[in-house]
Amino acid sequence: MKKLWLVTAFLVSNLPFSYGQSQPTETGKKAPEIELSSPAGKLIPLSSLKGKLVLIDFWATWCAPCVQEQDELARLYQIFRNLAFTNGKGFEIYGVSLDAKRQDWEGTIAKKHISWTQVSDLKFWRSPVARTYNIQELPFNVLIDGNGNILARNLHGEELEKGISKFLKK
Amino acid sequence: MQKAKILIFSILALSAFAFALSEYPSQGGGDPWTQQQLLSPADLAKTLKDPKAPQPIVFSVGMQAVVKGSIEIGPAMVKDNLDKLKQQLDKLPKNASIVVYCGCCPFSRCPNVRPAMELLGSMKFTNYKLLNLPQNIKVDWIDHGYPMNE
Repeated sequence: MKKLWLVTAFLVSNLPFSYGQSQPTETGKKAPEIELSSPAGKLIPLSSLKGKLVLIDFWATWCAPCVQEQDELARLYQIFRNLAFTNGKGFEIYGVSLDAKRQDWEGTIAKKHISWTQVSDLKFWRSPVARTYNIQELPFNVLIDGNGNILARNLHGEELEKGISKFLKK
Repeated sequence: MQKAKILIFSILALSAFAFALSEYPSQGGGDPWTQQQLLSPADLAKTLKDPKAPQPIVFSVGMQAVVKGSIEIGPAMVKDNLDKLKQQLDKLPKNASIVVYCGCCPFSRCPNVRPAMELLGSMKFTNYKLLNLPQNIKVDWIDHGYPMNE
């Protein structure tokens, strides 16, 4: 009977997570490849950043909290971009936009002076990447190591800085 | 043992309900639509797939007209787009069957559905609905395989 209660308590406490963005982005799994183009039209595969600690930032200009977060990402980019990590040399952000309109996307990149990698297929929520990564909501991000393995997902605010710092080489 | 099972089931059901509520906050508080005006995606998909069913006029007031047959207005938070919607609505009888949707974000964060629904109300339309996409167009429409524009 006691066991039954424990199982129930576990199930109940974990219920919300069963709806989460779990399957393809579980910690330890290989991050699925993304091959999308930059604003200049250059194809930049995620795998081209191999060797670095990479934050895959799924965002869009129509997502207010995502745009707001870009300032924080700029700050973290400056702090971490040239540092060494336990499994990666240097830090890069791979921004994947779910925008639909090129002018919105490029306009915000220019306005926010975003200097890290930016890619998009401008397919809004129909982007195949949204399906591959099982994105349920924006903003969403995935932190991967130099081998493309997932270290963490959906870290924001202080948790993001802590999450990246955790992998700094001591 | 039977009692324990009932208890466990009740707890699970309550938790699921509470979780659903936390994820999808009530759309009743001050929003320019009623619960009756929320059209379920399953119902619209069924109508769109039925060639014999009377078809509503569906307007996308968000970033992209994903729903099959829907007319792209653009984000209704932009005045020019809202004017464009008004021009389209001016051509329709007040009892026309109209559906609007955005689907960028959860309703609580969507900047587009409110201006569109307010416009419909102020223009005295009598048969207009908001497509119920509590999460977004991906989770509540695309992932279900409902009909999409090419």
